[in-house]
Amino acid sequence: MTALVIENLNKVYTDAYSGEEVTAIGDVSFTVERGEFVSVLGPSGCGKTTVLNTVAGFVEPTGGVVEVDGSPVSAPGPDRGVVFQSHALFPWKTVLGNAVFGLRMKGVPRAERERRGREYLELVGLGGFERKYPHELSGGMQQRLGVARVLANEPAVMLMDEPFASIDAQTRRRLQEDLTRIFEERRPTVFFVTHDIDEAVFLSDRVVVLSGRPSTVQEIVTVDLPRPRTWREAVDLPEFRDKVARINDLLSGGAGTGGGARVDSDSPVDVV
Amino acid sequence: MTPDPVPAAGRTAPGGRAARRARRGSGPGFVGATLWFTLPFVVLVAVWAVTVELTGVPRRIFPQVDDVAAALADMAASGELARHLGASLYRVLMGSAIAVATGLPFGIALGASPALSAFFSPLLRFSVALAGIAWIPIATLWLGYGDGAVIFIVWNAMFFALAYNTMLGVRRIPATLLRSARSMGASRWRMFWEVLLPGALPSVVSGLRIGLGYGWRGLVAAEIIASSAGLGYALFLAQKTFSTDVIIASMVVIGVLWLIMDRLLLAPLERRTIERWGMTGGAR
Repeated sequence: MTALVIENLNKVYTDAYSGEEVTAIGDVSFTVERGEFVSVLGPSGCGKTTVLNTVAGFVEPTGGVVEVDGSPVSAPGPDRGVVFQSHALFPWKTVLGNAVFGLRMKGVPRAERERRGREYLELVGLGGFERKYPHELSGGMQQRLGVARVLANEPAVMLMDEPFASIDAQTRRRLQEDLTRIFEERRPTVFFVTHDIDEAVFLSDRVVVLSGRPSTVQEIVTVDLPRPRTWREAVDLPEFRDKVARINDLLSGGAGTGGGARVDSDSPVDVV
Repeated sequence: MTPDPVPAAGRTAPGGRAARRARRGSGPGFVGATLWFTLPFVVLVAVWAVTVELTGVPRRIFPQVDDVAAALADMAASGELARHLGASLYRVLMGSAIAVATGLPFGIALGASPALSAFFSPLLRFSVALAGIAWIPIATLWLGYGDGAVIFIVWNAMFFALAYNTMLGVRRIPATLLRSARSMGASRWRMFWEVLLPGALPSVVSGLRIGLGYGWRGLVAAEIIASSAGLGYALFLAQKTFSTDVIIASMVVIGVLWLIMDRLLLAPLERRTIERWGMTGGAR
């Protein structure tokens, strides 16, 4: 069953200052199956976040179709939960208050939503922090809350926009492993935007590699790493290294696109 | 203080905020804070007493500290103080309650709707120069002498500062917060109460502080002109009889009342909300 369909997506906007037409997304098509983890990777400025924002309903596409569970997307909605790079937690709500926000908006009764909120906080490792406020948490814990808040809402697809980009490398590894564990336990459908090749390969079932502007899908790389995955094991597997190298080639070579494709990812060498 | 996991570096937890909190935590405590707060006033009174003493200025022109204290005691004993205080407080509370009830929703609407704010911005800017005191003549014509006119002036003086700051506060809420609320299915009504209002609160509190300051000044001015009770009126009456001691005593009462309002209303509001929520480091 296909959870998310993106077909011939195109986005052109007019720059507010120069008045020039800018093509943020050229022509992008791919699908995400239910229970699948798909990452979107591409050179900086290729519009990968714009693709996510279009799926979320924050941005209106110029052309093309986005469908979630068979119905076209026109506005933001609780069937698509978003985990933001900046966490975007409500500072005035407690950890539990943040976790149950979506359920409250849906009108889920208090006892039921608190039970579910606690369950998902436990899942992301935030049990015992229910009454804290977001500013009392570290960056990594804030993002765990960002994930719990979306999962508690049980959306058809979880959209993650470079969620670990502003988190220190050490913590990032732990968060990636925890995200993988949660994914393996619960099998949510995940659409993950990143500029980190290792991260994309480690987490994903498939990696959609976009070209530079005007962006098109350069290649969709399938990652057949066994699950459950851990960094320790993954870095030694030839499959992991091959896929990282393959994507790195695609991004640095520009492989047949209009040149100028630039890699803005962390160097893949930091795996070794 | 609650135990606080060290926030990781990053834009959501700037070191400055943590450092500031730590500093406050290891600060001198309530007694010390009160001492530091009163010290400048003690110095001011001392300078006043010494200056009057040394320069030998006539006490009728510039009364000594104990003259003012005596005048204050007289006012308290005769019940005049309670009467003026009661009248002024009633008007300030009414005026500011109406200003909050009107300025807050208006400011949030302006912040949330670019069309509304585009329309009202020029009017707001025009009105800021006129807010409060300039309205006294027409307010007295419309509402007569007494409570109505004074409350109108307090409301008028506060309204624009509150609405304007609230609008800025809403605009400063990060777009991702609004987006995340919308993507979790928040209706307009929920957005107002659960996102826009708390998100704008740091600016709302500064708007309240600025607005109350204007309102308080408007109150004194309006009472001088349009009333027969209140602290402003007491000032005015004392001037007629050349009672400089009563004038200064009334000024002291006005200033102290303002400080008390700030400390008892605004400071606790800040402590329980924006400080508790970690929003003191500027809007996120």
